[in-house]
Amino acid sequence: MVERKPKIVGFCCERHGMDAVVLSARTGKQYDASVRLVQVPCTGRVDGIHILQALEDGADAVFVLGCLEKNCYYDTGSIEGRKRVGYVKQMLSEVGIEKERIEMFNAASSNAWAFPEAVGKMVEVAKKLGPIGGGERQ
Amino acid sequence: MKAKVQVVLCKCCTEMPTLLDMERLAKVAAESDNVLSVLTVEAVCDGKQLAELVNDVKDKELDRAVVLACHKKDVSPAVLKAYRRAGVNEFMVELVNIREEVVLPHQDEPERAQAKAESKLRAALARARLLAPLEKQSEIMRTRNIVVIGAGVSGQAAAREAVKSGAHAILLEKTGKSLKAPGVILPNSTLVGAEGYGGNFKLKIRAGEKIEVLEAAAVVLATGGGWTQLKGPLAKAVKDAMPLYKLYEQLQAGAVPRGPVVIVDTPDPAGKTLKVQDYAWDDTLETAVELKKRHPDIQIWIVFQEMRAFGLSELAYKEAAEMGIKFIRYDKAGAPKIDPKNPTSIAVKDFSQGELVNIDFGSLVFASIPSNPDNEGIAEALRIPMTAEGGVRRGSIQRWPVTTPKPGVFVCGSALFPKSREIATSEGEAAGAMAGEFVKKGTIEFGGAVAEVEQEKCSACLTCVRTCPYEAPFIGKAGKAEIRIQGCQGCGMCVGICPSKAIELHHYTDEQVMTETRTLLGGDF
Amino acid sequence: MIVAKRKPLTEIAEMLAPYKKVTVVGCRSCVAICLAGGEKEVKMLVSALKLKAKKEGRKQQFDGFVVERQCEKEWVTEVEEKVLDSDVTLSMACSLGAQTIGDMYPKHLTFPGLNTGIFGVPEEQGVWSEKCVGCGNCIIHTTGGICPIARCAKSMLNGPCGGSANRKCEVNLDVDCAWAAIYDRLKIQNRLDLIEQVTPAKDWSTSHAGGRRTYVREDARLTPHQKKGKEAVQ
Repeated sequence: MVERKPKIVGFCCERHGMDAVVLSARTGKQYDASVRLVQVPCTGRVDGIHILQALEDGADAVFVLGCLEKNCYYDTGSIEGRKRVGYVKQMLSEVGIEKERIEMFNAASSNAWAFPEAVGKMVEVAKKLGPIGGGERQ
Repeated sequence: MKAKVQVVLCKCCTEMPTLLDMERLAKVAAESDNVLSVLTVEAVCDGKQLAELVNDVKDKELDRAVVLACHKKDVSPAVLKAYRRAGVNEFMVELVNIREEVVLPHQDEPERAQAKAESKLRAALARARLLAPLEKQSEIMRTRNIVVIGAGVSGQAAAREAVKSGAHAILLEKTGKSLKAPGVILPNSTLVGAEGYGGNFKLKIRAGEKIEVLEAAAVVLATGGGWTQLKGPLAKAVKDAMPLYKLYEQLQAGAVPRGPVVIVDTPDPAGKTLKVQDYAWDDTLETAVELKKRHPDIQIWIVFQEMRAFGLSELAYKEAAEMGIKFIRYDKAGAPKIDPKNPTSIAVKDFSQGELVNIDFGSLVFASIPSNPDNEGIAEALRIPMTAEGGVRRGSIQRWPVTTPKPGVFVCGSALFPKSREIATSEGEAAGAMAGEFVKKGTIEFGGAVAEVEQEKCSACLTCVRTCPYEAPFIGKAGKAEIRIQGCQGCGMCVGICPSKAIELHHYTDEQVMTETRTLLGGDF
Repeated sequence: MIVAKRKPLTEIAEMLAPYKKVTVVGCRSCVAICLAGGEKEVKMLVSALKLKAKKEGRKQQFDGFVVERQCEKEWVTEVEEKVLDSDVTLSMACSLGAQTIGDMYPKHLTFPGLNTGIFGVPEEQGVWSEKCVGCGNCIIHTTGGICPIARCAKSMLNGPCGGSANRKCEVNLDVDCAWAAIYDRLKIQNRLDLIEQVTPAKDWSTSHAGGRRTYVREDARLTPHQKKGKEAVQ
């Protein structure tokens, strides 16, 4: 039986977030292929509903990757991103879904290690917890 | 109008085919809805190959493209320019990073990489079908005015640099001091209100008794420190205590300060109203050395918690000590005290010796610079953020050290946080130069991927107005929110937070984002 | 304005557990502004409940809609079909909205998704503090513009009480003493003489203590001649 691979979505900001992703690839870092990135201009754009909908659409885990809070290209965007993730975490725990399934990460463009680290963490969570509702996804 | 998509698969010279089956990708593309053309090229950054794409678009009358290549930032200028020649709006081109997101990091998993590439292709197509052309706009700057608030060392430096770009500098000086600077100096003036956006501000200025409206393209905040507002028990006890700059002025004027001279770091050592600020140490040491050189008989004491003589000031520290200037270090437990009934003697516990030292002084000088209380009113007028210490907050330190988050508003000197005259001057030059560059452009460009409010859905809750760092949303005449697109940076913060889902971000609408996400999750992993 | 808070999702999920088809209806007015029941909160709630059902392997259908102002019949009518088509409606408006739907469709089940709440002032984004309890007889002109009924823990009319210390309320050191604030305010208005005037005991009949209140503007009422449809017949 083929083991079902984890399904992870990451909302990544166009600035430091994506720069960090690109740098990690260009410095030869290898990581699990379970992540699909959706680019947004700023993590402040991420709506709680995007995260919840991603889980509804079959993601085992969702993360948001933005600039370091003190250095956000749009000044306060990653602060907003963090708040959105925090609010959804609270909602998830109230409906009995593990709040570890979603996470906020921050990186500077020069942090080549940041994206592979985030991927590693989320893959671990996804493997540990499996799909929501268990069993096979259709 | 149905979408007519061109799909371009870039081999990235040879990189892509080493891991991916390009033909399979081309097949997926060809079998997708709305795809009328699939091209595989060696390198999409090659001008000749771009010409091929352009001709293909023109021949088949295609209206949008999905390009699988490398990092957007590297390849987009050339690619978008080419598509523009073909009549395809820049917002109708979807660039997918297969190189850095798929090929490079999954070298050992060709099958999973293939599945990921196909997923990204399908998702990009799903998103491309929902794209709409967007137009950027430009507006002429009505003036070449740069208003510099504060005509101190920093402000003067800013004005000097700003005019080099052909701008007109107008300095607002709150005192009636007579000064020289390249530009118009309005004495007894300050900023009381501001409307508009970077490039076209409408400023309300109080000049003397009158309120005037002045149009400006940019603003430089050089309000300096709160020199005259020294607060704290030590300042209270000694009526004629002076800030460092007064001692400096006395020296320049040839006056002799009454000795012994005690220079304390802060008038509030217990730190209730003022944090210890260290950045004027270079000025303090140099002034003390200068004073000692001119008047070797005057005893000088420097009382401090932390000495931060950085860089070449280290030499001044050495020189000062060698000249016999005495340094006493204290910590909060042994903070200096002055009995108001005997305001000519300061008692402080020397941290290294552990002994209580009593110093009789003729002049008491404070090296620290509190924040200028005027900053509050000006920050309110311009709607820019402040630091917890009462300074003006800058944008990102690495990217914009002399700008505020608001485009067109620059800041320098002690208005940010206390610093010596020399550094304040450098910062003033930087801010002035940046303001000059900004104004030199003569126009501002905006629009495209910006936010827009659907008025019927807006609850006028003010959340967007409060959240935006750029003052783009405002409540318009209809009592609903509107976006001032000249100020909108396209971040989407307001869009993500609107409780009534009344705001959309063009090019990143909910539908576009969620369709892309859903399509990605529907693929193979 | 009216400020409400979403009920904990555990409570909402429990309320809705026995029902197969749920319609969630939000509002664009007060509850959108206080971030409790606008379109965004409705969409997020629907998604979270769907996820819960998925996790527990239950088949439950959720749908979300928003109306402009849920306490007005004309707007509620816009979602009538959706409401009646469900087994239960969860109102994400304040209780006024929830009860309006209930009154309009008495056979249908309408449950409250929010806990209402307070008359709250947005002190800053995200913080609403109670400054009025609707006593029906406003006397803040005598207290420098600060309401002692709402802001004093004992609703004193001739405060402060003996427990007030350092401008703080004895109930909770985080709470400012309203009467200290009133004193400060009257002082800067040069009206401290008002503090010395003794205010007689409050007539609470104008407040909810006197029973359910109805406010009427006779001149605004439609005469029978003006009413339309079935309202004209009643």
